[in-house]
Amino acid sequence: MAGTRIATVLLGAVTLLIMAGTVYAQDVGDVSQGKVVYEKYCALCHGEQGDGKGHYGEDTTPVPRDFRQGTFKWRSTPSGALPTDADLEKVLVNGLFGTSMSSFSTSLTHRQRLDVIAYIKTFSPRFATEKPAAPITIPPEPAYTAESVTRGAALYKKMNCAQCHGDEAQGDGESADGLTDDWGNPIVPYDLTEGHIKCGDNGTDIYRVFIAGLNGTPMPSFADAISPAEAWDLVHFIQSLSPDYPKNLTGAPPAPSGKGTR
Amino acid sequence: MTIPMRHGLKILSAAVISGALLLARPVLADYTVEAVANAGTIEGVIKLSGAAPQIAPIEVTKNQDYCGQSIPEPVYLIGKGGGLQNVEVFLKDITKGKALLTDTIALVNDHCMFNPRVQGANVGQQIKISSNDPVLHNTHPQNASTNATIYNIALPFKGFSVTKPLPAIPELIKVKCDAHEWMHAWIWELDHPYFATTGDDGHFTIKDVPPGTYTLVAWHEAAAEKSISVTVVAGKTVTADIQLTATKTP
Repeated sequence: MAGTRIATVLLGAVTLLIMAGTVYAQDVGDVSQGKVVYEKYCALCHGEQGDGKGHYGEDTTPVPRDFRQGTFKWRSTPSGALPTDADLEKVLVNGLFGTSMSSFSTSLTHRQRLDVIAYIKTFSPRFATEKPAAPITIPPEPAYTAESVTRGAALYKKMNCAQCHGDEAQGDGESADGLTDDWGNPIVPYDLTEGHIKCGDNGTDIYRVFIAGLNGTPMPSFADAISPAEAWDLVHFIQSLSPDYPKNLTGAPPAPSGKGTR
Repeated sequence: MTIPMRHGLKILSAAVISGALLLARPVLADYTVEAVANAGTIEGVIKLSGAAPQIAPIEVTKNQDYCGQSIPEPVYLIGKGGGLQNVEVFLKDITKGKALLTDTIALVNDHCMFNPRVQGANVGQQIKISSNDPVLHNTHPQNASTNATIYNIALPFKGFSVTKPLPAIPELIKVKCDAHEWMHAWIWELDHPYFATTGDDGHFTIKDVPPGTYTLVAWHEAAAEKSISVTVVAGKTVTADIQLTATKTP
């Protein structure tokens, strides 16, 4: 009994210490468990060293992410910042539409995903030295209306999105040729009429891209160029381009088809 | 009883690991600000050894209606007397001296080129990025050795500007505009204020240097970096002329 009480007190004291030291300690994965998961599921493409040079990664387009720079496209955090664990887990859960990155929503448990995220973060020294940035604020989505889509179309012109994405948003703008990512790999602007956005079809997924940009790619952040209301109009315009969304102009947001977040 | 104990040990090891991570943060206190008595000055002219390679003009492939068909290649700008412009000259091993710079530096997107092309800065300074052009630019600073994105800011229209902090850790920053791939700029972010960029005559001056012997580095985007030893004497100006070897061929 006494032993149990001591253990409980000790546990309580240690827990208090943890809470005082690191606010996110409770949801941090286990690096050594994560290594096991990584080597089983991830290393074939992303490489044992996390350099994106796994055996099966050679022939994929785009090539697998090199984890060593801490540079991740899909984030809720400002341009250049590290992603949150939740951002990384979202990619594991949803996969990335149109790429070789598949969903691990059923093949891994939440705990295994946290473990493998903890391990992936060891490939870049940035995670040990930089604090996670606060996610950007996304105000509630206003109604999806014809007026909002029209305003969004005007913003597409004003913000010169066509420079890369083209006048018809098919990814064929004047600057579309010769673009490269941080690793020197060729990269093309997204054809927004194709139907699905890689990082998710929801309004908030698209909103985030405008404000956070896509780290490691030519897609910059428009955080200082557009207001939240303008960003939502632009989201609605982008959604209106997709053949897979019902053009629901009654005020309800279009129902995601589900394909983009398979 | 064994279960909570094991759990406790696991949490304890997590605490040790997070403590180790805190200690692993880079120490930036390599430079101490203090009053400089009996300061000296370093000045000199940077030149290329031999004639500058004749590099073909930049062939403009985007927004030709605004940017033009071609732009003179600014890699080797040779001025009066043969001086080389846009060389960053800085001390490598200085640990104390005058205060760091705190004003906001500027980087202007102007006629589809960055201005200035090369500049020095201190950790803690901010950068005002602006555009004079009616086309979309994006200002995309990266770590020059790893290409890792620092941030990537859209400048969608003429007159737009944004002010951002420079990275917290000193580094050589290479700036690009993805939309216009010929646009490049460099920022030498340092943890001390003893640096200068050569002007159009290739001349530089570094003032208020505490007496002592230092390594002086001359860096150019397309020349082999060169370091020399300089000794600064109280109240005197020491001349440090350096010749660099071009690395870009026509």
